[in-house]
This record gives sequence, structure tokens and C-alpha cells, in this order.
Amino acid sequence: MNRYEIGIVETRNVIKTLLDTYGYDFRDFALTSFKRRLEDVIMKNGLRDSEGLINRLQSNKDFFEHFLKDITPETTEMFRDPSLWRSLREDIIPAIVKSSSKLKIWVAAFDSGEEIYSLCILLKEMDLLDKFQITASTISDEVTKKIKSGRLDIKQLEVNEANYDRSNGTKRYADYHTIASNNSAIIIDSSLVSDVTFVKQDTLFSNAPSGMRLVLFRNQLIYFNQILQDKALNAIHNSLAPGGYLALGAKETLENTNSNNKFTVVNDAEKIYRKKVG
Amino acid sequence: MYKAVIIGGSAGSFQVITRILSSLPANFPLPVLLSLHRLKHVRSGFVEALSIKSAIPVIEPYDKDQIKPGKAYLAPANYHMFIELGNKFALSTEPPVNHSRPSIDLSFVTAAQVYREKLIGIILSGANKDGAYGLKKVCDNGGITIVQDPIECQVKTMTESALKITKVDHIMKTDQIIRFLQNIKQ
Repeated sequence: MNRYEIGIVETRNVIKTLLDTYGYDFRDFALTSFKRRLEDVIMKNGLRDSEGLINRLQSNKDFFEHFLKDITPETTEMFRDPSLWRSLREDIIPAIVKSSSKLKIWVAAFDSGEEIYSLCILLKEMDLLDKFQITASTISDEVTKKIKSGRLDIKQLEVNEANYDRSNGTKRYADYHTIASNNSAIIIDSSLVSDVTFVKQDTLFSNAPSGMRLVLFRNQLIYFNQILQDKALNAIHNSLAPGGYLALGAKETLENTNSNNKFTVVNDAEKIYRKKVG
Repeated sequence: MYKAVIIGGSAGSFQVITRILSSLPANFPLPVLLSLHRLKHVRSGFVEALSIKSAIPVIEPYDKDQIKPGKAYLAPANYHMFIELGNKFALSTEPPVNHSRPSIDLSFVTAAQVYREKLIGIILSGANKDGAYGLKKVCDNGGITIVQDPIECQVKTMTESALKITKVDHIMKTDQIIRFLQNIKQ
């Protein structure tokens, strides 16, 4: 009945191992959710406790790659917050196309794929997919491989379909996927992302791309404490062209960060911001 | 002596919550954390509905907002609401727990870890077992546990699941819960 619970000291020991052994810095992740995901990894892999996890991490590099995939927060829905996607379709993307010839978008979220596919479907329906350069961050090669496979959880089909319809998609969601023969998964048309550049990113965003017109960074700040929130937003601010747009999650706000005065609010309900010029 | 009240509810809990919020004194000395099942794709409307009769402000917190006394905080649609060290909220889009996001269990477990014996946990009417494990954790950490009397619940599953695994401090009707909260003095 009782779920395994990892203590704060043990959590810090795991974080130290990740930093010492692999140079990955999780020190400024939000503690509650990070602890919880560590507990999930420990249970899922039949490890007894944090000691077991540390031993496995130290002795097995392949396990570390799995670990990165499992520790990465998931968006878990296509077109999450349909009203955000409507705003991108009706206002933001047209404004970008009108004002600039360098059409660059960065999906900075450590995403399991849904955000990237949603964006590509949207651009395809606007006849703009081949006009935009899209860069997507991923924390491990395994995640990139999974995204490129197009496999999505079949349990999410109904939600994803409803979200797509509410986002004012111009076709049918079913036009973009097939169902695996044993009903085990939804296979999204992976050619949608064939021109997306996947960049392996560390947790400090040290190799952020530049000149972006739009950065999608939704529901990622929630996994960081305020120190890392400020670092990430700094990197994103640097990567945006002046006047470039930033979309956060519906319940994330710049007001709790140091970056608040560097952006103007474009759409408060959808948390779309714009980098101030000059 | 207490630091927070946390309330979990689902089907049949709306009117109970409304009555509780309308009966609290305007200077209620604690934050009231509300983890309630709700439609995931409807972001607006719920907080407004709860606000109409509430004696204290009802807020849907943003990530990392400070938790303050005398306010009610409603877990936002399609997010889990965690209580983080430093008396802040942390939201999460991790997969649903007990088919629910927000999950009552997750809000209760994290609140119990932060507030320990200074937490009052209340489970109301509802149609699944979400919240039962969370209330047990409130108990394990020394907090006060209250379950709405199943006789009075529109749907009993949630309260009965909670009672099954925890020897709670109080089984109360809505009126008694209200009196209990009104009598809290800091």
C-alpha cells in the first residue's frame, strides 16, 4: 500500500551522482516533482531505494540514457490548451510571417513530442511548414528517437482528437495518424518532423539557438526552482530576436521571475509574451 | 498552531465547498487549499463560481506563487498542484493519478510533507478513491484528518475509501466541519 518515499538528503545524493558522473545538473529542479519522478524511476526499475538507483547510475551508462528519458517531464497531450493553438494560428504566426523573413521557431521544452507535432501540423495546415526552420531541444538521444518514431500513447487518443478539433484544425486529427496493428499505439505521420533540427540540450541551455521569432516553452518552468527559471529565461531571452514571441504554460507567469521587465504581455490568458525591442 | 487546511472533493462536493467557503470568517487565519476534480479542458468558470459566495478570496495559483493565509487556492484545470518547500505552489503536468489531474492524493501527500502535524486534511463527497492515500499521509505525518459523513455524501466512494485505510480523527457533517473551521484561532 505504501509508496516508496525518497528523503531530501537521499535526493541530494542522487543529484550529486548525476552531476559528478555525467555532468548533468539537476540541483535547481523543483524538489517535489523531481523527488516524485525519482521515486517512479526507482519503482519502475525494481530498485529498492536511492542507493540502488545510485549504484545503477554509476555502473551503467545505458541506464543513464533511460533515466534521462524517464526523468523528463511529459506534456502528454497534443494541442494542449487549444485556445493557445488558436491564438498561434490566428494571430502570432501570421504576425511573424508579415514582419520577418527569417522564420525560426525553437521548441525549447524537453518535450516527449506532442508539442513539436502539434506545431508542425499547425504550420502544415497554414502552408508554412517548409518556410519555417524549427529547432527542438531534447535531453537525450533516446527521446529524439522516440519522437521521430511518431509513437504516441493510444490512451490519449480521445483527448488529443478533442484538443485538435477545439484548436480549429482544418482537417481531421485522424488524417495525421495510423493505429498500430495491435492497438498498442498511435503512430503520427513522422514525415511532419523530418525537417526539424533536434538539438541535445543540457539543463542549463548552454547551446541555445539564436534569432528566434517564437519560442515555445510551455509547462517547463514548473519543473524548475526560481534560480533555474531565471537562467532558462535568460537563455531564451538571448535566443529571441527583438520583438520575438515566447509562449509559456497557462499557469506559468514571468511575474515570479527576474525576466518580467524584459517582455511585454501579448495574450495574458495564454501567457504569450513578446521580447521588448532595444 | 495549524498552518493550512486542505480539502479534496469530487462529484457532489461543490455545494459543500460553497457552504464551507461562505461560512468562514473573512480573516480566517489559514490558507485553504482546494484539490477538486474538474473538467480538464475548461480552464475558466470554476473559480468564479466558487468566488460568488466565498467569504475569502478564491484564487487559481500560478506556479511558485506564495501561499498566504486567509485565501482559498483552487488547483488549476489539467495540472497537479503540489505544495513545495518554502510555502509555495509548484504545478505539474505529469500523467494523471487515479485518472485525475489535479490528483487529490498528490496535493495531500505534498502538503503533508511540508506542513506535517500542522495540517488539517478534509475529504468530501466523490466518486473515486483519489484522496484516500493522501489523507492517510496526512495522518501518518501527524496532521488532523476529517472525512465528510458518508450518510450525507451525494457519492460515497471517496469518503468510504478514505475511511477504509485511515483511522480518521473526525467523521463530520458539513455543519460540523464548518463549526470546526470557525473555531480555529491562531
